[in-house]
Amino acid sequence: MSDLPPMLVALPILGAVATMLVGLVRSETGWPVAVLTSVLQVGAAGVLARGALRHGPVRYAVGGFAAPYGIELVVDGLSATMALLVASVALGVLAYARKAGPRSNPFYATYLLLVGGLTGISVTGDVFNMYVFLEISGLATYALVASGDRGESALAALKYLLVGTFGASLFLLGIGYAYVATGTLNMADLSAQLAEAGHTTPLVVAAFSLMVVGLFVKVAVFPLHAWQPTAYAGAPDTVSGLISALVSTVAAYALIRIVFTVFTVDFLHANPSAWRVLVAGSVASIVTGSLLAVSQSEIKRMLAYSSVSQFGLIVGAVAVANVTALTGAAIHLVGHAVMKGGLFLTTGTVAGETGARTVDDYGGLAKRFPAGSGVFGILAFALVGVPPAVGFVGKLYIVLGAIEAGAWLLASVIVGSTLLTLAYVARLVERMFFWEPEGEGRGDGGDGAKSASVLDEATGGEPGGASRGMKAAVLAAAVVAVVLGAAAFGYGQLIEPTILRLVS
Amino acid sequence: MIHVASVRPLGAVLVSAIAVALILASRGRPDVRESWTLLASVAKFGTVASMVPGVLAGQVYVTDLGPFLPGVEFSLRADPLGLLFGLVASGLWLVTSLYSIGYMRGLDEGSQTRYFAAFAGSLSAAVGVAFASNLVVMFVFYELLAVATYPLVAHDGTGEARAAGRKYLAYTFGGGVAVLTGSLIVLWATGTTAFSPGGISGLAAADPVVARGAFALLAAGFGVKAALMPLHSWLPDAMVAPTPVSALLHAVAVVKAGVFGIARLVLDVFGPDLMTDLGMGLPLAGVAAFTLLAASLIALRQDNLKRRLAYSTVSQLSYIVLGLAVLSPVSLAGALLHIPAHAFMKITMFFCAGAIHVETHTDNISEMGGIGARMPLTMAAFAVAAAGMAGIPLVAGFVSKYFLLIGTLTAGRAVFTVALLVSGVLNIAYFWPVVYAAFFESRGKADHKPVVEGEPGGRFSGSVATTSFEGGHGYRRAQREDWGRRAPTGAESTWLMLGPILAAAAGAIVLGVVPDAAVFLRIVRLIVAGVTGVAI
Amino acid sequence: MDLLVSRFHYLVAFFLMGVGTFVMIGDRNLVKKVIGLNVFQTGIFLFFIVSGYVEGASPPLLTAPSPYVSPVPHVLILTAIVVGVSLTAVSLGLIVRIYRVYGTLDEALIREVRGDE
Repeated sequence: MSDLPPMLVALPILGAVATMLVGLVRSETGWPVAVLTSVLQVGAAGVLARGALRHGPVRYAVGGFAAPYGIELVVDGLSATMALLVASVALGVLAYARKAGPRSNPFYATYLLLVGGLTGISVTGDVFNMYVFLEISGLATYALVASGDRGESALAALKYLLVGTFGASLFLLGIGYAYVATGTLNMADLSAQLAEAGHTTPLVVAAFSLMVVGLFVKVAVFPLHAWQPTAYAGAPDTVSGLISALVSTVAAYALIRIVFTVFTVDFLHANPSAWRVLVAGSVASIVTGSLLAVSQSEIKRMLAYSSVSQFGLIVGAVAVANVTALTGAAIHLVGHAVMKGGLFLTTGTVAGETGARTVDDYGGLAKRFPAGSGVFGILAFALVGVPPAVGFVGKLYIVLGAIEAGAWLLASVIVGSTLLTLAYVARLVERMFFWEPEGEGRGDGGDGAKSASVLDEATGGEPGGASRGMKAAVLAAAVVAVVLGAAAFGYGQLIEPTILRLVS
Repeated sequence: MIHVASVRPLGAVLVSAIAVALILASRGRPDVRESWTLLASVAKFGTVASMVPGVLAGQVYVTDLGPFLPGVEFSLRADPLGLLFGLVASGLWLVTSLYSIGYMRGLDEGSQTRYFAAFAGSLSAAVGVAFASNLVVMFVFYELLAVATYPLVAHDGTGEARAAGRKYLAYTFGGGVAVLTGSLIVLWATGTTAFSPGGISGLAAADPVVARGAFALLAAGFGVKAALMPLHSWLPDAMVAPTPVSALLHAVAVVKAGVFGIARLVLDVFGPDLMTDLGMGLPLAGVAAFTLLAASLIALRQDNLKRRLAYSTVSQLSYIVLGLAVLSPVSLAGALLHIPAHAFMKITMFFCAGAIHVETHTDNISEMGGIGARMPLTMAAFAVAAAGMAGIPLVAGFVSKYFLLIGTLTAGRAVFTVALLVSGVLNIAYFWPVVYAAFFESRGKADHKPVVEGEPGGRFSGSVATTSFEGGHGYRRAQREDWGRRAPTGAESTWLMLGPILAAAAGAIVLGVVPDAAVFLRIVRLIVAGVTGVAI
Repeated sequence: MDLLVSRFHYLVAFFLMGVGTFVMIGDRNLVKKVIGLNVFQTGIFLFFIVSGYVEGASPPLLTAPSPYVSPVPHVLILTAIVVGVSLTAVSLGLIVRIYRVYGTLDEALIREVRGDE
């Protein structure tokens, strides 16, 4: 039990190494190894999450060096949630990837490396360590985005790399400032020392700004979002499913961790301008992300911009900074991961089945692929926040928190975001269900030449039909999105002590 | 009131939700599919009706599903007010199911599986709205209702239908957003959103500005579905939907959900006393009075029968809102009684419009000269319902309007009494031309009649030469000077459509002649006594 | 002026960051963008190292007399340099692929080849 936190990080990384080694003997063996690792990972994360949610934080000093000198891993309810989310989504996407994915062993090695990096961010209690894991997961993500064999993938990956590294570097610079101000890197220790150094001293404020802006880049908050739609759209379907569900989510977790564990609520109270930056980022993301989403013609880009908007909600919850809103943020992080990951995978399944990839291609989709359209519809309306799905519950908590805090502007923007989300969702749903199909049937008529070739590249040359695993993964996402809505209250109660500790 | 734990409220909601799955599963076999619809509607009505004796005896059936949010239980509760709406919606669903089958098959519509599935889903949501025990749960079902009815509005898939669907979604979700915000403000201010007769006690202690704001948001949100002006324009546009949809949803389930929301708001959230203290009754009544007059005037100018009915609905819904907003016990009783009364009358009229559409493909009033000869029973039922709408005694509308008039007068709001009377006159003015054209207009004066040559019920035998098929419906249209004459023995249409029309019209008459025997008045008395403590 | 002298190394660090950012944003050549990124990171590394520097102190060895230079930044930056090198490797790998597909490393030209999105 006590060794679980480091195990959680080491397991996927060992799995990645194993995948590479096995790959030397026989190619295309990555999948089983990855599945095995992921199953173990889910189990370990589950046990850890149970412990952390029931009995409070689990601490582990790496290498026996006690904090604040050594690196400490701290698993509280929120970290455990993230670790479990990462592990489960990774497993779910693997089910999808069996037929759809790139199949090479290096792909699965990178995949597991990403899982390891994201888990690391979730469980670490040390800011520099967080930076390192941020970069590890960044590296893995760049490589995964580039794993599509189109030139576009490589270009998207490079763009992502430049922007992402720049963001991470800002984060590092912020750590530098904090270190100069306090001489420590352990989060808990930093928090106390920063308060001692004075929350309004320029050094501390600069550290906050740099770290937050750096994480804004990783979360893709407007106007630092530009890398994200390109990356999501350029990546293979499997990868966009995975990274849309996890990468920004874990970055948002890091934002919560930095703002509340390191700088604390008192810092926000002492610096209204810092608070204003958060509010501005939130409002700008919500509004602009949705508006850009409405104007997209490619489904994956539309969904990517929708992510910009949804993470605006999370940033908004961070700005509200009370128990209710942060509970909402935790719920919405999980919910959004399931919904958005599910939507991306559905997009991939639809493309595999019919070749449709643009908003116009989706006209009359319900007649060609009713099950896929149905799942897409459910997930899309869940994203809008139609009760009782999880998208509704998360949003509800955040709005309630905003009202409690008297943040009326944020409350009204978040509530209004429902309508903005509806705008791009309804546009698609209407096309799917109430338009006549364009062209002749299954995407190889009409503009089929183009979409079929796109399809070949994107799914690794495996057109014609979505596999059972793909459909199962997508269906599971839809079911989970609805069921989680019912479970959200129980989870909110479980995580309450954690959140209380965060904001006190 | 005695609270009784029971699964019946939940069962009433779930039965049609289960039917959705069954309907989708048997999509290849229309007969099996339709039998699921019928079975579900019988079971649903039975479940709801089985709670009536208990509720009349002062019991409240509760299904508690555990906490949903901090301070919010996800529980369903069949109290008198909820039962009133639930009974109307589920009872008329039974009638509409039969009619739907006749209508959809008669016109050979596409995507019937989606249609019946969405219909069953909407009913689940509507009964959920009825039995919701607090604002948040009500919002949940309110949103589901919007989603479930969207496919019905956009059913045709034509540009017009899609535009109407978009508008519908935008309006109802916009309303939903307002309801949600208002509910959360109430939750924040009082720590609860649970309905309690006479109002949530904590709300009186809240900041009046906050309370007024919450009320305005909630009233506006529910006002969208209740089609209060200026938030009404989705309703006439939604008339592109198939007629059974207009009949049940846009005269009963959906719009009444909005009115019902306002009733909950006035009676069980704020309560008449606090409403008076905050001075919120009068503005609401003002909006309602304006709406009922303006909508009646607009109705005069509509030639399309369904659009005229839609504006009539807008106007009649405002009767209910007005009665609620005046806050006197008698007017409350009138308003609540008008919920079932209007439902029975309006559904009859929509059914008639649908039957006319199926049999003769006529939608405009100006083309209906002499149609009473072709469809005597249908048009007679229409005339009865129209008389009720105008408040003529012995039909349902009279009783409720009588209460409304007395209520507004005793409350000292004579302005509203006048508004009601004027609107009553306008009612006659816009329904009389239909009845007149149907029965008294001479054959030659009206336009040429489009005549459908085929069996009653719209089904076409297929043996006639296929010279002028239109719209793929499989009927042949010709210009004629006259409607064919049919005896009033049921030969004018199929019994699948005629039966429901007559049943609904009969219901309207029963409500008008012996309001005490029909259970609704007793429920209404119970509600008013519970809220105000005054026995009517 | 005194400030300038005493904080000279900080100025250099920030100058490097500035140059790096400028190259990264301003230059159209993808390789040069990566170089810009490296320069930018180097600026940060330098910032860390100088933050641990104490005038007249000895290296952090127990045999040397105190005061010591803080060893932690050195350790951190060693890690960060490793990260930076691997990033550079990945980005150069990507650039090779991009060159194979588009035949150019000029961002504007690539955009032209692809047609705008």
